Amino acid sequence: MLLLLAAALPSLFWDGGASTAPALKENQISRIAVPAASLDSWKAVAGVAAEAADPSGAIKLLKPAVNYRPDQASASTAPWVDSNGWRFLRDPGGRFYYDAPGESAALAAAEAYVYGVQALVHTDTNGLKPFTQIIAFLKSLPEASPHPLVNIGYEDDGSAQSGELMNLLVRRNLLFRLVSTPDPKLNITVAFGSSAYPKTEKDPSVLAQLVRSNLTDDKRLVRIYGSEVVIARLTGGGGRVRVHLLNYAATSRPVLGLRVSVEGKYPHHRIYAYRVPDAKLLDFDPAAAGRTEFTIPNLREYTVIDLSR
Amino acid sequence: MIASAVHRRSFLHLAAATPLLARENQLPQYRIVTRYPARPGVGMPEPYRARVVRVHSEGSIDPVSEKIDEGKVREMLSRGMRSLTGESSDAAAWSRFITPKDVVGIKVNCSGAPRVMSNPEVVGGIVANLTAIGVPPEQIYIYERFADQVKTVGYDKHVPAGVHFDTAENGRGSILGYDPYTYVEVDFFGEEDTRSYLTRLVSAKFTKIINVPNMKEHQAAGVTGCLKNIGYGDFSNVARSHRYAKTNTYSFIGTLASVEPLRSRTVLHIMDGLRGVWHAGPFSRSKKFRFFPKQIMFGTDPVAMDRLLIDVIEAKRKAEGAPSIFDRSPSRIREDDTPQRDPAYNHFVREPGHVEYASTLGLGEYDIKKIKVIEL
Repeated sequence: MLLLLAAALPSLFWDGGASTAPALKENQISRIAVPAASLDSWKAVAGVAAEAADPSGAIKLLKPAVNYRPDQASASTAPWVDSNGWRFLRDPGGRFYYDAPGESAALAAAEAYVYGVQALVHTDTNGLKPFTQIIAFLKSLPEASPHPLVNIGYEDDGSAQSGELMNLLVRRNLLFRLVSTPDPKLNITVAFGSSAYPKTEKDPSVLAQLVRSNLTDDKRLVRIYGSEVVIARLTGGGGRVRVHLLNYAATSRPVLGLRVSVEGKYPHHRIYAYRVPDAKLLDFDPAAAGRTEFTIPNLREYTVIDLSR
Repeated sequence: MIASAVHRRSFLHLAAATPLLARENQLPQYRIVTRYPARPGVGMPEPYRARVVRVHSEGSIDPVSEKIDEGKVREMLSRGMRSLTGESSDAAAWSRFITPKDVVGIKVNCSGAPRVMSNPEVVGGIVANLTAIGVPPEQIYIYERFADQVKTVGYDKHVPAGVHFDTAENGRGSILGYDPYTYVEVDFFGEEDTRSYLTRLVSAKFTKIINVPNMKEHQAAGVTGCLKNIGYGDFSNVARSHRYAKTNTYSFIGTLASVEPLRSRTVLHIMDGLRGVWHAGPFSRSKKFRFFPKQIMFGTDPVAMDRLLIDVIEAKRKAEGAPSIFDRSPSRIREDDTPQRDPAYNHFVREPGHVEYASTLGLGEYDIKKIKVIEL
């Protein structure tokens, strides 16, 4: 298990020359991935272990972020969220590559970790400290089952249109895994391209809303109240649930107050909050009509809540 | 890149294709969650159901300078409260509603501040009456949802030291000031956040609430008076009801106002109509849509008072040649800024029917023939 978790930690892809080694050392970075062309020069640098990596074959990801585009979303300030969860779910064994400068390096690393994928995070000098800090935080998390908790099966045809629907499901915290045939253990199966979820529907938000409607809100494994920029993922099993929360607006502002509702009754909890010392849950309620609810007062890039029976 | 909200176009498309979601013309399904039991006969609309006192004072505000005569306001408060209660002294009148042991929340309206809001002279007069009957200043809270609006008004200059100023959201969008155990859950258009939480001030701190709305037209609700100030002004995440031209203000306002303990703790409404807004409300960005009714209304029945407010706004709009707030013509809807300049147009289909709908929830009397109006 420890090996599995360690393997899921993202790597720093650094294309600066060996002359930039002091910046890395200043941020306690001792392992990097570098372009093959510069590997030899880095091998001569003491205190920094380098290995060659070729991002050209990796799946390029969006910089995780939020864009407020009131002219496109609606008359409101409803945000647009750039997240990559659907890409990880489509290709969990793939190699991924972020270009995440500055503060966004931390969120990128956390996002990849949450989905347990291999990722290279390319950042700039300003991103070294956030990257170091998030990696230290990820290493500090206690061991937990990485088994994803979902209740929707999704039959993906591999098309861009299907990908966009998966993207919306992730964004709306409708938790799914890919299936080739309906799994009776799941509440619903979304067969993209079927008469129920037709390809002729060009607006994926219509289909996403249909998935939500067919599942019903009462059966959703997790609900988020108080923010439109937080994506949740659940892992665990055997009476334990790890709730992962990613704040896609973290580089501009924390979420101050987030109510989370998780299906099932879990009387015990622990919180691990990145960049929030002495974090505590507020108004913890393990008896809310078959659900466990709690408030997170301050959510930066990433917070983990371990629930147990 | 994805949108987190369903477009109106998408929603209508989906509604047409899916019977489950074909609810454009149906009332939304509300789920009210509260730990507070109903208290029949306590709070809105009792004890003076279907009774409204309206005090007019020509010199209360100068329409040119917009300067308010604080002395005349105090006099209006005195006459209004005595008439409402039938008491011969101010102290006796106020004591009908508040005791020295109460922790009193004064719900002001600052959505149009610093131009149009619950005037500090009126709020200061209310506070003076409360302290006169023995309520310590430390037990009085002037409150709103948004701190940035309240700060522009300057209430502190009109009330004694010790009176609190508090808001539900010191930072916009934070739910920490709200009670996670008291909320209304509703899905209007597929939004992810389907809950509107009651402010903790109401559920955890106040024993009584005095509601001090203004006289304003509202682009979505038609008017914003007692019901909207106490409903939308005490819950989180309410703007979602008017995200699109066809809004859900019709049923949402009354539903929120009916939630316990808000309903039973709201014991008095004093509608500040010294200054009002007859178009493009509630913000009053253009002075040309401001007007001066020079009146204050008193009552415990928010529906009856808002019913009279509708007439005030309608009369002013008619005098200005503007269409009725009941006009639902699609041709009058504009998504651009035309409604900010031209009172013939609006961003939304107004829902002044929310007042009558609230009457069906037991919040008061809508039938104008049954409302006793005392004009002073």
